[in-house]
Amino acid sequence: MIQLYDYVLSASCYKVRLMAALVGVKMDLEAVDFHPGRAHKSVEFAQLNPAGTLPVMVDGDMILTESTAMLVYLAKRAGPQWLGPDDAKSAAQVQQWLAFSGRLAASLGMARLHDMLLYKGDIDAWRAQGHAALRELEAALTERRFAGGEWLVGDTPSIADIACFPNAALSQDGGVSLDAYPSVRLWTRRIRALDRFIEMPGIHRLHELSPTPKVA
Amino acid sequence: MTPRWTATGLSQDLPKGVVMAGHWQGHDLAVWRSATGRLQAWNDRCPHRGMRLSHGFVRGETLACIYHGWVYGAEGGCKHIPAHPALTPPATITVTAFACVEQDGVIWVAPADMAGSPPAVSGVQPLRSVSLTCDLAAVLAVEPALLGQDILRGTVQIDGQGHDVCLLVQNNPAGLTLHALCGVRANKVAASHWVENLRRRAEMKVAA
Amino acid sequence: MIAQEVLNEWYPVAMAAQIRAGQRRVTQLLGQPITVELQKGAIVVTGQGGALHVTEAYGHVWACPGTPAHDLFPIPEALEPCRRLVDVGVVRVKCSPLRAVENFLDIAHFPFVHTDVLGAEPHTEVNRYEVQIREDSDEVWATKVTFYQPQAAKSAEGGIVTQYMYRVAAPTAAVLYKTCPNRTDAWDVIGIFVQPLTEELCDVWPWMALYDDVTPQAELIAFQQMIFLQDRSILENQIPRLLPLDPGMEIPTQADLTSIAYRRWLKKRGLTYGAQMVAA
Ligand code: FES
Ligand SMILES: [Fe+2]
Repeated sequence: MIQLYDYVLSASCYKVRLMAALVGVKMDLEAVDFHPGRAHKSVEFAQLNPAGTLPVMVDGDMILTESTAMLVYLAKRAGPQWLGPDDAKSAAQVQQWLAFSGRLAASLGMARLHDMLLYKGDIDAWRAQGHAALRELEAALTERRFAGGEWLVGDTPSIADIACFPNAALSQDGGVSLDAYPSVRLWTRRIRALDRFIEMPGIHRLHELSPTPKVA
Repeated sequence: MTPRWTATGLSQDLPKGVVMAGHWQGHDLAVWRSATGRLQAWNDRCPHRGMRLSHGFVRGETLACIYHGWVYGAEGGCKHIPAHPALTPPATITVTAFACVEQDGVIWVAPADMAGSPPAVSGVQPLRSVSLTCDLAAVLAVEPALLGQDILRGTVQIDGQGHDVCLLVQNNPAGLTLHALCGVRANKVAASHWVENLRRRAEMKVAA
Repeated sequence: MIAQEVLNEWYPVAMAAQIRAGQRRVTQLLGQPITVELQKGAIVVTGQGGALHVTEAYGHVWACPGTPAHDLFPIPEALEPCRRLVDVGVVRVKCSPLRAVENFLDIAHFPFVHTDVLGAEPHTEVNRYEVQIREDSDEVWATKVTFYQPQAAKSAEGGIVTQYMYRVAAPTAAVLYKTCPNRTDAWDVIGIFVQPLTEELCDVWPWMALYDDVTPQAELIAFQQMIFLQDRSILENQIPRLLPLDPGMEIPTQADLTSIAYRRWLKKRGLTYGAQMVAA
């Protein structure tokens, strides 16, 4: 079974848990005391991942430390349609968004760690970079909507969407509101409405999808 | 400030069964569309424990609060309190409703007793809403073709051609929002790029 | 001016283990800058006017900026030898410290905020429970609280009707006792210790004293952080940020008896830091 070294509040770990849930892969979750224990910076953990980052995926003799690579691995193994269309342009666009998701993590993700877990750093810069990235995401999704598209690449959701989703959806945790990004908001709703979607703290499920309980 | 209709979003950004945050002259609103398409704008505060209703969820013709699930129906009356399923909530529990009208693909809000209709913006199609970090003066300074105060209108160059654009001005607590509409013959992608370029120029002017 | 009643209370300001490990915490208490650090083997809290009263308990450092009106409240269970004491770590929330405590006392939100973990529709009903302000200890207690829970704790499998007792032990500290999935003769104890940085900003330190020899520490921490972070997105979106003590401002029901008692108790004792007295 695939093993995932995991932290419940990490957007990058959630990215992988979500992808696994969507393609129906069961993983063995190994909780790491990221906060307050900083176990990911321990000597023992460095043997697994010298960079001291989470998540880490272990499958047999393979060790992955980049969450976007884990998305590729899960999709290729259990849900190839999640890799996006096969043509050159689409494949390149998927790669573009996978890389872009790193910018969301480096801006919105850091603002969130600052506001929530007291990480030190330039919060104004992180938020400004977060807004800049959200503007790009909003522009791209808005243009997709003009053409009737609902996802970042192709006609169905792909690893590109899953890679960008967590930090965008959690932006409010870092003091960045999505109010000004209607296309991003509607897109996060579409992802939350996917079959087999799982939530994380800060991204609640769409209660509207479950039936209204019968009132006695 | 004299009450007037304010554009708080575009119809295309509020599908059925969705709630979003809106604003009217400094008041935070929860603007939502029911399953059958009925549009409403309410004070964005649940009377129970103050949670923002714009974080809630729409079920059928009701809006429920995300905190304890209190359900509000037409005109803002509380219909159901999940902690007490057998209880009929007292009629006194209500959320303040605002006037909310959809016209020309734009969602307009005003106080409940507002008379008349929102201004018509004909001959243009909804494009997109954008927020800016600069003020309106900067926008007008970089694009002299735009005239007006609450509704900016003018003919601008999009893709090398003159096209009609209309920008509806909304001043939110967090800053300026413009709801952009463009001539029906304009290419929407190109018009969207024009809007972004306008924003860039206006914000850079302030930064300079 | 901060009321003397407020200054004479104890507030959590750090995790003791982190300070003992040599970390220095520069933070705020009631709007004033303070430093928590180790000096010659003792934990010292320094404010602008000098050293504050300090005590160490339940994994945390507690400080009193005035003259302590009483000792820090007891949690006898913390001394029981077989309990696992778990420091969950700090989480910052943009809300009144009092709103953070009130949320902790509330069960009606479980089905909507902690869906499928602490509650689930259609099991939303809050049965009648008892609330009292105990004269001897001057604490707010809610007892005979029951609620259906799909997954009551990390070590719980499947749904059970969980029993609770809630206790407000200090203006910004509350403790809950809940059915222990592993033992019928004891309660699991979970505390929430809230450090008021300002009236609208707080650092929250959840803490646990459990009977659970099996679950790895990291999983216990993750479970409690998951629960609290679900609350955080609620707490940061309540209007107003301050806790309204004016009864006309918000509408409670019978399910909110604990919150009503907490608000009355705060008002009666003049503990209004983080509260709003009159509707704005
Ligand atoms: S605050 Fe809205 S239901 Fe309780
Ligand atoms: Fe909660």
